[in-house]
Amino acid sequence: MVGERYAFTDPYEVRLYQYDASPETALPDAVVIPGSAEEVAQVARICAEEGVPIVARSGASSLCGGTVPVEGGVVITFARMDHILEIDLENLRAVVEPGVVNLALSQVLRPRGFYYVPDPSSQGACTIGGNVGTNAGGPHTLLYGVTVNHVTGLEVALTTGELLQLGPGKASELSGYDLTGLLCGSEGTMAIVTKIWVRLTPVPPVSKTLLAVFDDVTTASNAVSTVIASGILPAAIEMMDHLSIQAVEAASHAGYPLDAGAVLLLEVDGIAEVAGDVARRMAECCRAEGAREVRLARDEAERQALWKGRKGAFSAMGRLSPDFYVMDGVVPRTRLPATLDAIGKISERTGFKICNVFHAGDGNLHPLVLFDGFKEGEYEQVLRIGDEILKLCADQGGSITGEHGIGLEKRENIRYVFSDQDLSVMDQVRRVFDPGLRMNPGKVFPAAGGEAKPAVRMPAGKTTGRAGPGDEIWV
Amino acid sequence: MKAQVSRVLPGQEIGVDEQRELAVDGLTPARVMRPQSPQELAEGLQALSATSAAAVVHGGDTQIGLGSRPARYDVALSTTRLSRLLEHEPADLTCRAEAGMRVGDLQAILRAHGQRLPLDPPRPEKATLGGMVAANSSGLSRARYGGVRDWVIGIAVAYPNGVIARAGGKVVKNVAGYDLMKLHTGALGTLGVIVELNFKVQTTPEADDTMLGHFDQRGDALAAGRWLARQYLAPAAITVLDREVLQECGLTADWRWTLAIRLEGYRREVEIARDQAAAAVRDHAGRVESEPAPAPARFWESVRDWTLGQDEAVLLYATTSLSGLSPVIDVAGSDSRVMAEPASGTAYVRVAPGAAVGLLDRMRGAVKGSGQVVVRRAPTASKDELDIFGPPPPGFALMRELKRTLDPNAILNPGRFVGGI
Repeated sequence: MVGERYAFTDPYEVRLYQYDASPETALPDAVVIPGSAEEVAQVARICAEEGVPIVARSGASSLCGGTVPVEGGVVITFARMDHILEIDLENLRAVVEPGVVNLALSQVLRPRGFYYVPDPSSQGACTIGGNVGTNAGGPHTLLYGVTVNHVTGLEVALTTGELLQLGPGKASELSGYDLTGLLCGSEGTMAIVTKIWVRLTPVPPVSKTLLAVFDDVTTASNAVSTVIASGILPAAIEMMDHLSIQAVEAASHAGYPLDAGAVLLLEVDGIAEVAGDVARRMAECCRAEGAREVRLARDEAERQALWKGRKGAFSAMGRLSPDFYVMDGVVPRTRLPATLDAIGKISERTGFKICNVFHAGDGNLHPLVLFDGFKEGEYEQVLRIGDEILKLCADQGGSITGEHGIGLEKRENIRYVFSDQDLSVMDQVRRVFDPGLRMNPGKVFPAAGGEAKPAVRMPAGKTTGRAGPGDEIWV
Repeated sequence: MKAQVSRVLPGQEIGVDEQRELAVDGLTPARVMRPQSPQELAEGLQALSATSAAAVVHGGDTQIGLGSRPARYDVALSTTRLSRLLEHEPADLTCRAEAGMRVGDLQAILRAHGQRLPLDPPRPEKATLGGMVAANSSGLSRARYGGVRDWVIGIAVAYPNGVIARAGGKVVKNVAGYDLMKLHTGALGTLGVIVELNFKVQTTPEADDTMLGHFDQRGDALAAGRWLARQYLAPAAITVLDREVLQECGLTADWRWTLAIRLEGYRREVEIARDQAAAAVRDHAGRVESEPAPAPARFWESVRDWTLGQDEAVLLYATTSLSGLSPVIDVAGSDSRVMAEPASGTAYVRVAPGAAVGLLDRMRGAVKGSGQVVVRRAPTASKDELDIFGPPPPGFALMRELKRTLDPNAILNPGRFVGGI
């Protein structure tokens, strides 16, 4: 149907599609690279009729096993559906295929004065389709929101082989249930997205970026609250702790101070007449909370270097440890100090080093547990630590995932935040779209009768997740 | 016979006066339920399910006219006793409240902390948070700050089977589980009754200003608004009002059309945005009003509340792309009153009942599938002759199945929503 060239089942060839950026792997039975929405819909229908699982995948930068075909079946990948179909500046919309790389869209738009706001750190590799699947975030969600806030319409393929165009598209609203919003972040468990209408935003004339240096994470956390309470609306507030700084500076040479206990990267967008002033106010807030140094990026090159260091933080961890395990917990901003303190205690107790690189403005933590997967038993221990940290975030009134998704990894941990009744309603909703449960099975929902415990296992001979300086892994 | 039915229905019996108060599109309920807790509400739904009695859900009733005439209406279910603020941590910029809390009450609490929910539904002193979400009633600043769907971060819903289930949570960034907040936003309470909501909130901008521009041609006013909507310093609200609407909102002008602009931001930003807006007005053959608008806050409240329509008129609501709006309004004759929002591609057109059917057809013809026109309000007598939502939206089969799944006995607002859901 899609042509012999674009479908294969050879065990050697499909091996490339067994993993994403998470530690888990599973072999698909077949890989299909459709060239059109109609082909996607036909594949979905045939899979459903044959009772074969179907998993959509593009950039495969999922950190939670979201695209690992854990029950085998067919992997659909969007390598050929990577076209920007329309840019309509008059109506502030673009229409794209799911395989369009996030950064590619903004690169096309920026010279024309607009951009697509969500900028996950993996934006050079992740696709808009994948972003819709996980409702991806990034550093700038603090002011601008996440993927769903910028998606106004979807074309989707259902297991019936139907193609549906949902949502208002170029309009701002449409009566009926907001299925577009519902499908954002559903991790490919209800339908496969084949086309996306996204909102375009004027590029801020100026972005000012500050680096604030603190002696410890608690004072840095307090500075975050002070900035927010002052009435400033920052575009981003990112934090890195001492250990992270070592790795990031070694990799990026952006000028992060190696002796700092924590640094904040704060950014404000605005017009030239205002942004500098607001940046100064943010700097004052940081100093008032005890920042020992606050630096303004002098030019765009310095600003980009700081951001490159931050966005490449995960890849840089390879300098500290052969392996790391990353989490994506969220806590209310005011609970940051208590949560970071508790994570520090877990590190002390277990002897595993834990780095913290995260979106402080949103309270979205990314603790990284450093370990060596070739040491007997370490990986299992690390999973238990991860589980403990997610429980901690949930107990602080937060969530177990802010932007990476539940995927395979956290399907049991979801019970920390939702009751059986909550999950049952979600399951009923899923079955309306996919009664046979063929869409990305084994994800999001706990296994029947499962208990809250780590779900992933380290496969033998596993090398993914061992990040060297040359590898690219983002958060 | 009526009395006999009443005895088996859940809820309290009501007198004639209360019946009249709770009437919806000419239908009156036999009983009322005013639960004091989410649990009591959920139990009430279970009791309704057992008798297959139909309920219309009431909040502040500001938008109760929205939707088709109920197919059945036995019991009025009011959320107004669920009115507590449950959490507000100012430093987290989040809050959690029961669904029956008045929007204005929440805003007053937030205001005391220099914060606000940047949603501004009409009649906030009456409108409830749950009603605002169910009716997807965002106010005039949707294009700049986003609408209801962008500010709800968590929800608890009582379903007809008596279960209360949550989705989302209290943190601003959260992708755990399905985003059922979206499913219930604008659903008119047809899938479940919202009992609790979590919101993100916003620091109130440092400064605001209002500017009026006057135009001979509506097209020029709309074009100026559209241009402003695409600028980095886009106004917080942009509305185009005809002379009569302007007058109803408390201001007068000699010109046929007025572009009302509300600017918000840091003080210096607002000053610069004002210059930008003035230039946009002049560049589009308009005249900038030199007098400052008297009592701008009250003016904006009037504009906002104007979007509720009037008892004896039909209010149509068009949503299109930004560039598609003009042709849809153009079909409205001089006997209709127009208020347009060029930044969101939306317009309200108020027309006498006698002219409504024809105008609705013409506007739907002009939209040509790239948007829609719905009836936001109509006198009871007109409701049956108007196709309130028009043709069912794409994905309607899924919507109907969602309804069957979550409300199998169709006890919640039956017949009110799109396609007869």
